[in-house]
Amino acid sequence: MAILVKLDDLLHERRMTLTELSEQVGITLANLSVLKTGKARAVRFSTLEAICAALDCQPGDLLAYVPETNTRRRSA
Amino acid sequence: MVAPPIDALALSRRALRVVIALNLLAGAFILALLLASFAAPDWVMRALGITPVPGDSVRAIGARLIMGLGLVAVPVVHYVLTRLRTIVESVRIGDPFVVANSARLTEIAWGVLGLELLHVAIGAVGTSLASAGVPLRIGLELSVTRWLAVLLLFVLARVFEQGALMRADLEGTV
Repeated sequence: MAILVKLDDLLHERRMTLTELSEQVGITLANLSVLKTGKARAVRFSTLEAICAALDCQPGDLLAYVPETNTRRRSA
Repeated sequence: MVAPPIDALALSRRALRVVIALNLLAGAFILALLLASFAAPDWVMRALGITPVPGDSVRAIGARLIMGLGLVAVPVVHYVLTRLRTIVESVRIGDPFVVANSARLTEIAWGVLGLELLHVAIGAVGTSLASAGVPLRIGLELSVTRWLAVLLLFVLARVFEQGALMRADLEGTV
């Protein structure tokens, strides 16, 4: 997937755990984990809104477009 | 006192099990009758209410044709019922909206269409036999409801397929 989810970095910057975020935004830990690990196929605007509100960030801070070749080079 | 709700799913599963067994039993009975029509043709014809006429083989052939078509219907009915049982089982497991079930519904639709065509063939043979003075009550009765059911099954299968694809799309949405 060429879309990179930077939830881990944002949580690290804000010294927040995934469990705390889950409690704040009302999204299950399992679903947030799917998002964090980049396994999600789609994100609802409501989810994006809740996470941005909780982490005080913009959607662009959470998501990034990384072309496939760069991703492969990164993971290699 | 409130009566406990009827578990329609469990009831359907039990009913399907019974109908599948009855269909196989009916198949065995028709096969036995067909074999007996060769071993003791007069006895079988009399048992079916047809007076055997010496030298007239048309009635016997007609009766055997009906039995043969009836035998063909048995595996088709079994095919339809076992697929329906698998769909009911997927409902019990809690995962019925899958593409495999829409394929099963299409198979059921083809099966029911085949049964309708067999019904027409049996009716045609029955009508031609009855016209020869045989009191057979197998007639060529065309039912709009049954043909509509076939159409409905094909449409439902397509709707199911679309639903399953939409559901698959939603999976992984956070």
